[in-house]
Amino acid sequence: MSIEDSRQQVREFLAGHTLGADEQTKITLFLMSLKNANALILSKVEFQPMEWLPYFSLHSQLYKEMDLFSLLYRATDWSTNPMLYTTSTQLNFELWQKARVGDFLPGFFGMDRRFYEYLALSHSFMADVRIIPLLPPDVPLTSKYLTALHTIETENGRLIQSQIRLLKDMEVPLEVAEKEQIIADQRELVVGVFDRFLQFLVKS
Amino acid sequence: MAYFKTGGHDIYFELHGEESAPPVVFINGLTQQTGLWKAHTDYLVERGYRVLLYDMVGQGKSSKPVLYQELDGHPPMLAGLLDHLGIERAYIAGISFGGAIVLKFALSYPERVLGLVPMSTFTEMDARLRWLGAALYEGMAKIGFEFLQNILMPLNVSSRWIEEKEEALPAMKRVGYNSNDLYSIQNLIESLNNFQPFTGSLPEIQAPTLIMNGEWDYLTPRWCHELMRQKIANSRLVLMPHSCHAFTLETPELTCRVLEEFVQSVDSGAWKGDQSVWIANEHFQDGDVLLPCRGDHTRGIPICPEPVKRATAKRGAAK
Repeated sequence: MSIEDSRQQVREFLAGHTLGADEQTKITLFLMSLKNANALILSKVEFQPMEWLPYFSLHSQLYKEMDLFSLLYRATDWSTNPMLYTTSTQLNFELWQKARVGDFLPGFFGMDRRFYEYLALSHSFMADVRIIPLLPPDVPLTSKYLTALHTIETENGRLIQSQIRLLKDMEVPLEVAEKEQIIADQRELVVGVFDRFLQFLVKS
Repeated sequence: MAYFKTGGHDIYFELHGEESAPPVVFINGLTQQTGLWKAHTDYLVERGYRVLLYDMVGQGKSSKPVLYQELDGHPPMLAGLLDHLGIERAYIAGISFGGAIVLKFALSYPERVLGLVPMSTFTEMDARLRWLGAALYEGMAKIGFEFLQNILMPLNVSSRWIEEKEEALPAMKRVGYNSNDLYSIQNLIESLNNFQPFTGSLPEIQAPTLIMNGEWDYLTPRWCHELMRQKIANSRLVLMPHSCHAFTLETPELTCRVLEEFVQSVDSGAWKGDQSVWIANEHFQDGDVLLPCRGDHTRGIPICPEPVKRATAKRGAAK
């Protein structure tokens, strides 16, 4: 099953269901996991010198991620089903492991391959993981939860500008083909986990 | 869903109609996707044509590269898709961003073209168009994709259309929002950063060319299309009345009638590429699809052919 098949399966599921507490909890835990990973890595940017070119945009991104994290936390109708939390944790653990989030934590960032990998990973978090397009287009985004999801997606579009500019324009000792490969690898990883999340989302 | 793989990218396409029928290809505008050609496809297939729709790399269901996209990368991908489908020659129609690809395709692959229909498009940018493009880009990057949609709406379609579709518009906008990814549309816009005017190459185009321009197209105004008319000897210019940049959305049936008449005239050998200017007839059911344009088609205000004599009435005469 491809990611597009999974997306279609969720679209069909959501055409007949509203997002109840179980679905909201699944989505929130997944999105929080992404935002948490990004914020954790970004927090080390606070120790970089302010003169470091990407500092200003990544500093803003850290605090915006925390803002969105808390918004999502408050907007969610949390489920009382403990199994959801267990399965979500397993899925999120898989993401953190595969993305080697821990590897990004030690030391400072430089204009190097590791920083480029982080940028590609966080780009994919914000670009490839979208929930709103899975909802029927005639569903108004007016409930507190959908408003929060919509806000996050809109903000992601603004935040990702830092990743876009750095991935394209940053002077880094990598050939274009290497850059493309790094981006493809990180996307494959994120989209793969997102795919499994979507299959989990439609399971009762 | 059908995909064609080229250069590491997956191109989503739909092919409708009988294999033996004359093929017509539609190329999307910047934020469009194949679904927006449904009315045109139904119309043409019903009348015995074959229609090829596809999402360019960066659009809809096709691959969306994160890094660079070159404007000149699109024509070879279309040529590859035609090869893949065994289509030797086709009528190539496209709107706005897609219209520029139509002309670039014709310049690179003249032997693959039966006829061309560039709609609401450009071969160079003046200061106003560059400014507008930069503002749209900045708005999308700083505010969001939906802002781009909102700004484009009144540029793309007329008040009449907006009022008629008022109830359906939120869902229509969401379909556009859902099928597009901001970073990818941003890439397509950025591919215009190094845009080189190619008006000078247009005389190389020998294929029958029907240029179409909305009466109220403020995004790519008349001068853009007038340049094409002047430079492409085997062309005609058709003005689409009471419609804006996206007249294909506003008046799909009239657009289809004009297209059908063009294809029929080329197929039958009756086509005359005489650089003449025509107005699409909104009341085509009662008469011809195209009416000759008799005024100065380059002006937005009606210019009287005779010089007007200065008014001789003395001040205070009107009592």
